[in-house]
Amino acid sequence: MPQPLNSKDQSLFRQVVRNFEQKQYKKGIKTADQVLRKNPKHGDTQAMKALIMSHLGQLEEAFVLAKEALRNDMKSHICWHVYGLLYRQEKNFDEAIKAYRFALRLDPESQPIQRDLALLQMQMRDFQGYIQSRSAMLQARPGLRQNWTALAIAHHLSGDLEEAEKVLTTYEDTLKDGIPPVADMEHSEACLYKNTIIAETGNLERALEHLEKIGYRCTDVLAVMELKADYLLRLGRKSEAEEAYTALLERNPENSVYYNGLIQAKGIPETDHKALKALYDEWVEKNPRGDAARRIPLDFLEGEDFKQAVDAYLQRMLKKGVPSLFANIKFLYSNSAKRDVVQSLVEGYISGKAGSQANGSAEGKQDNNEFLTSTYYFLAQHYTYELSRNLTKAMENVDKAIELSPKAVEYQLTKARVWKHHGNPVKAAEEMEKARLLDEKDRYINTKAAKYRLRNNENEKGLDLMSKFTRNETVGGTLGDLHEMQCVWFLTEDAEAFLRQKKLGLALKRFHSVFNIFETWQEDQFDFHSFSLRKGMVRAYVDMVRWEDRLREHPFYTRIALGATKAYLLLNDQPDLAHGPIANGPNGTEISEEDRKKALKKAKKEQQRLEKIESDKRDARKAAAANAKSQSVDGEVKKEDADPLGNTLVQTKDALKDAMKFLTPLLELSAQNIEAQCLGFEVYIRKNKYLPALKCLSAAHAIDPSNPTLHLQLLQFRKTIDGVSDALPAQAAEVIDTEFEKLLPKSQNLEEWNESFLSANKNSVAHIQAALSGRQLLKPDSKAQCEKDLVASLDTPAVTIEEAVVALDLLSKWGSDQTAYAEKASKKWPESSVFQLN
Amino acid sequence: MVDIVPLSSYPSYIDLLPSIQTCNITNLPENYFLKYYLYHALTWPQLSFVAVVRPKNGYKTGGNGGAGIAGDVSGQYPKVVGYVLAKMEEEPADGKPHGHITSLSVMRTHRRLGIAERLMRMSQRAMAESHRAHYVSLHVRVSNIAALRLYRDTLGFEVEKIESKYYADGEDAYAMHLKLESMWMDWKAIEKRDRAEAKKNKKEGEGGADDEEEEDDADEGEAVGDLGKAEQNGEKMVNVKIGRALGVGDLVEKSDVQS
Repeated sequence: MPQPLNSKDQSLFRQVVRNFEQKQYKKGIKTADQVLRKNPKHGDTQAMKALIMSHLGQLEEAFVLAKEALRNDMKSHICWHVYGLLYRQEKNFDEAIKAYRFALRLDPESQPIQRDLALLQMQMRDFQGYIQSRSAMLQARPGLRQNWTALAIAHHLSGDLEEAEKVLTTYEDTLKDGIPPVADMEHSEACLYKNTIIAETGNLERALEHLEKIGYRCTDVLAVMELKADYLLRLGRKSEAEEAYTALLERNPENSVYYNGLIQAKGIPETDHKALKALYDEWVEKNPRGDAARRIPLDFLEGEDFKQAVDAYLQRMLKKGVPSLFANIKFLYSNSAKRDVVQSLVEGYISGKAGSQANGSAEGKQDNNEFLTSTYYFLAQHYTYELSRNLTKAMENVDKAIELSPKAVEYQLTKARVWKHHGNPVKAAEEMEKARLLDEKDRYINTKAAKYRLRNNENEKGLDLMSKFTRNETVGGTLGDLHEMQCVWFLTEDAEAFLRQKKLGLALKRFHSVFNIFETWQEDQFDFHSFSLRKGMVRAYVDMVRWEDRLREHPFYTRIALGATKAYLLLNDQPDLAHGPIANGPNGTEISEEDRKKALKKAKKEQQRLEKIESDKRDARKAAAANAKSQSVDGEVKKEDADPLGNTLVQTKDALKDAMKFLTPLLELSAQNIEAQCLGFEVYIRKNKYLPALKCLSAAHAIDPSNPTLHLQLLQFRKTIDGVSDALPAQAAEVIDTEFEKLLPKSQNLEEWNESFLSANKNSVAHIQAALSGRQLLKPDSKAQCEKDLVASLDTPAVTIEEAVVALDLLSKWGSDQTAYAEKASKKWPESSVFQLN
Repeated sequence: MVDIVPLSSYPSYIDLLPSIQTCNITNLPENYFLKYYLYHALTWPQLSFVAVVRPKNGYKTGGNGGAGIAGDVSGQYPKVVGYVLAKMEEEPADGKPHGHITSLSVMRTHRRLGIAERLMRMSQRAMAESHRAHYVSLHVRVSNIAALRLYRDTLGFEVEKIESKYYADGEDAYAMHLKLESMWMDWKAIEKRDRAEAKKNKKEGEGGADDEEEEDDADEGEAVGDLGKAEQNGEKMVNVKIGRALGVGDLVEKSDVQS
């Protein structure tokens, strides 16, 4: 029941509200307590106190109090509003929306409640609800332009382009002759926004017409030019499009899209290399310092024309000593003829075949020296690149470059990369450290050095290097800072290094950290739902909203989702790993039960030791914090991580369920990623979810029917399904039957099928590995033969170190001795370190 | 090869933000969380640009949004090798609207291609055209000779003063600026054309009653007034701190419960 306060308490209550608004939280609590002393059941005051508490980090207690407030005063819109705000803080948006709706029913005129509701509806993409809210807000304040724009956005995002445009036009009509001044960016943006809506309807004719009407007074000049060029080209109005793209190129000659547009507008056929080259040459003349117009023709030129052009290009860049030359050239290598031309040209420069080098002066000699070093550097990169790899030559060239220019960071860096490709992460990390020491103030090389430490599973050394560029006084030190600054690359590499070492707790810890960063990024949009309307930059806002909807499509997410899923699969298959890495038997063979127990005991002891270290560190920090109040700059108290080792994560009861958290967005947004589909299968098959498992197989099959992992999984699925099909519900069994029949017919003799896969793909090591695993699955007594065949696969001409490393893993999965394989691989790659068994 | 493209105007490359953040933290000691980049991209979408490595076969066209040749680049995630993150100064001390370079970086592997220069020129021009910036300002480490050369010799910046211990590690900064007025658009000419168009429309539209017009004017006045207020509000709420706490935490609206 609403309780009346006496006038003194009423003014105190208003004081509480003010305190809250001015962020005087402690004062607010005091004042609220004053009111509550005399009116202990005053719901509104309790609610306000709860709200303030929530801002002091006491969300749980706040909820308890807010619930009590509601019990005392069910009919108070304040209580319901606060309840919603608490849910919002907890990120339980569905419940928050419900609470706001209650509040709004009690006080339909309240602008703040209506606005809070609208913001959440947008965040939750409840477009119908948002349209409703926005209509109400517009009715309440039709004089405010942003209310019109907001309603248009609501319709636009819900897919109703026509209504969106109508709303914008209705507002414009109220302006009539009084066009706002050019400086009114809100107007300028709203006009362009309307234009993009018209274009989205597909009626480009009308979009262009509209753009011509409004474009001259829009201050985002580049956007207007881009839109115009795009419309003209798509409408086939070629000569105007030509003009438009020329104008764009005059502004920015370093954008290949503009050249493409210009070429299309001019109607130059792709095959007319002469005309194309002439066009690009024209732009080289206009922008002698630019790169695009020189570089692009190398893509299409062939034969002698190519040779001439690339010769000029290479010599010019080598003389300038442009470090990105190789990165710029390597794309040509998918054409092996071009690759060979480049190689012979650059090798020729070394033996003095570059033009106009003969210059006896001291300066000339100096220049020549630089030219030579750049050339060695180019060749070092060339021979490291996978399409032109010859690591011996790469090393020779990089050593020569270093000899001539021992202080050049890039050269030393390349040497480290050569070692990496030798399969020697130990030497690679050492060499990269040398590169770092050449320029300790440069973060780029520091980053590389840290990354190479992580690639060599030296997590601590990696972190230590990172600390040279982080603020280390934040709670949690360097690692805390890297989390705060959302350093995704480091967390990902760190996680993968822990995963390689089977330290699953820490691996999962890092994978979850990145997952949480993505959650933060998704929440980041919330404030812009109101902010962008005030700023009026609505096109960028709408693009942002659409991007947020596919945020986890980003390769950064794909990578950690794949990694985390692998970690959880490993944990599911070897639950002992929850206690830390358990050593295999000698050389990777299967371990006896007795040894297993011993190893497990040892691992648990190590785990306890590490936990002790962490808790000691925590205590030390607490003690230090007691002296100096440890608060971050923004006044927010940062919480200590209670589980820095990820032990809670790794001791999960249901690893597969946890994996789904990562996997679900992955399968939804990166359905075209075959590795994702294959991992999806692995998770579903372990959960005995046959239909989703089959769905993954079908998707993978559609991407690449001859994928080696898929091949093995098809065999697995056939065997599993044949074993359980009687137990399945009739309908499911029928669907599986018909669908799976398309991938691997029931009548197929599996062994024959597997062997024919093997002989059809005998030049690909990955396929051989899959087929051998398949053979063991079908005929367990073939193990000895499989091991032998696997060793023999090292003689396949195309075998790579990465594939050989996978084979070692495979042997360990089979429970086989790795010795023979590792020895042969070591002999084949004498510089490598990855085949040293310990 | 490297393309220079807008970050969040048209076409939008906003999905590159995580990669831009990585480029920044790979190269520079001054880092920001993603929301700060978003804040730039959504407040001054015309001013920031990205340098990306063009994918091997060019950009796919006609994907999600169904736009044309330049229209849809979403979901392709080309490699980011440089960026310029720029803004308009929110409370200019001298009262003159001017731009500011928040962060500029190019990967070490892609230097000496003129990328930084191109990024800067694009941003400068947009500042002048879109926001009528009088000048652009920036800070550069006194030890950063290469950057100094770019700003002073190539782009024509002048050193305004030295700010002592500007950086967290204690290094001094040159505060530099470059005048931009010469690139302003001719707004007078635009407004002249406005009047011509209005006249033409009026003739075509056949006599809107005078009093009706007055009403509209009044209406507009009110709207602008409200707008002004809202805008001011917005400015106050942004209140971005310099240095570590750089962020948009304070852009959160007050959850005002009115009684």
